[in-house]
Amino acid sequence: MKSASKKALFKKNVPLMLMFAPALAYYLIFRYLPIGGLVISFENYNFFDGVFHSPWVGFKNFEMLFSNDKTLRIIWNTLWLSVLNLVVGFPVPIILALMINSVRRSWYKRFVQTVVYLPHFFSWVIVGGMVITLFSMESSFLNHWIEDKYGEPYPFLYKTFSWVTIFVGSGVWKEMGFSTIIYLAALTSISPALYEASALDGASKWKQTWHVTLPGIRGTIILVLILSMGRVLEVGFDQIYNLRNAMVSDISEVISTYIYTLGIQGGQFSLTTALGLFESVVAFILILGANLIAKKFNSNLF
Amino acid sequence: MRESYGDKITRIGISILLLLISISCLAPVINILSISFSGKQAVETGKVLLWPIDVTLQSYSALFEGTRVLASLWNGVVMTVGGVLISMVFTICAAYPLSKGYFYGRRTFTLMLLFTMVFTGGLIPTYLVVKSLGLIDSYWSIWMPGAVSTYNMLIMRSYFEGIEPEIEEAARIDGCREMSLLFRIVLPLSMPVIATLVLFYGVGYWNNFMNVLIYINSTEKYTITVLIQQMIASQSLLTESLANDTTALELVPEGIKSAGIIVLILPMVLIYPFLQKYFVKGVMLGSVKG
Repeated sequence: MKSASKKALFKKNVPLMLMFAPALAYYLIFRYLPIGGLVISFENYNFFDGVFHSPWVGFKNFEMLFSNDKTLRIIWNTLWLSVLNLVVGFPVPIILALMINSVRRSWYKRFVQTVVYLPHFFSWVIVGGMVITLFSMESSFLNHWIEDKYGEPYPFLYKTFSWVTIFVGSGVWKEMGFSTIIYLAALTSISPALYEASALDGASKWKQTWHVTLPGIRGTIILVLILSMGRVLEVGFDQIYNLRNAMVSDISEVISTYIYTLGIQGGQFSLTTALGLFESVVAFILILGANLIAKKFNSNLF
Repeated sequence: MRESYGDKITRIGISILLLLISISCLAPVINILSISFSGKQAVETGKVLLWPIDVTLQSYSALFEGTRVLASLWNGVVMTVGGVLISMVFTICAAYPLSKGYFYGRRTFTLMLLFTMVFTGGLIPTYLVVKSLGLIDSYWSIWMPGAVSTYNMLIMRSYFEGIEPEIEEAARIDGCREMSLLFRIVLPLSMPVIATLVLFYGVGYWNNFMNVLIYINSTEKYTITVLIQQMIASQSLLTESLANDTTALELVPEGIKSAGIIVLILPMVLIYPFLQKYFVKGVMLGSVKG
């Protein structure tokens, strides 16, 4: 009897296994093979010898990375641009969600949501084009207005401070609306009874926000924070590639663009893989670390 | 209960602030749209803000006649449609077995797939794999490395898991086998999640920029996204393509770039009602199980 049910189970499993095979093959070839390929960061990789026979150099590539001023500056650029992105970009959607949630008229709420979600669907090519149109020296409306008023246009995209502001701002602008979705979903799960009770106790709207609303979405906030920890030391390639220009190159060269220029275009595979491995390991440690901290608040992800 | 005076001020203040934020999201699009329909002089002197001045279709005719935009538009469609098909097939192949409690090695495989969300081989090793498979300069190099998004796969898996087991049991008693169960029962019941993922993947492929830049070498295979980027980035590419145009004197690069951006935005705006409906649903689905 038992072996019969085992047989039936096996019979049920065969089609599933056949079905899973291509997916498994995909993960092995395109996800796990590259992880194995990270070994070339300890080699002096060349095409003729391949992954298995290229000369082994140990940690030399890493030593080169961390003793070179240029790569150190690139890592530093990546770190602080991504931290800025996170520090500015993290609270904005929470505040926006609270604001949208407080709107009473449902048509106005729907209108705002419809409009603020839109930029999420634009690629960085589109956003980059908009940024240039808005802030360029030659023909932007803004700069012509400034020229009329103050005599000469302002090079927004060529000054470090204004460029970084535009860089971070455009990222926030693109994603703030869409990131509210998850908070808005969490906000609907807060029991109205809590608001009624606190109102009876004389709590103002501000007090309610602080003592009812925010604790109610705490789990979601921590969840989003853990997920975004993995992106420290990661500045999206599309974002930086479409916004940078030659005048701000010493601030806008980051790990992803450097890997592209030196690795894909320059053929320095081992050195750039070492840089990529460094990035992956840092992201991995940060996610696990954030998760450990979240465990203390009982909001851990895994 | 009556609201206090302070609460009322706050509420009005918030409404106004939200209006300003909404305007900030729409204004750049309207500005680009206006520039794309405006005449040379108005664009060059920076007069165009929220409506076109000296309305003309020149920018669009120059864009479609003087550049490779039509061909690259077609490439973008081919890459998006092909990519969505491939991604959906692979995602279903991964999600369906993993949604079944009796699937051998379910836990191990799930962990194995989850691990790729927190640790990746990175750009160069992936590039070398794609290169050694000989996929460079074909759309397979875009389709294959990103065929399954593990996040999307998890959304689909939890949707499959949510289908009432009674329905499946009934189908099995009627003699339904595993594969026909999938095609006749599970997939038809999963249309909302399928629509969501089709849109997730579709937007991803349409907006894909980095992979095309890395893996596609021949310019005639460029998709519209990359072509427009090149136009924005290099004035020379534009002036070159306009050199043999007799009306070039009437044209302004900003106008053509803007027209290009509008062409790139248009598909998004056209399917936006669907996007909004299903994307929101998808994010919710994803957030349920984390």
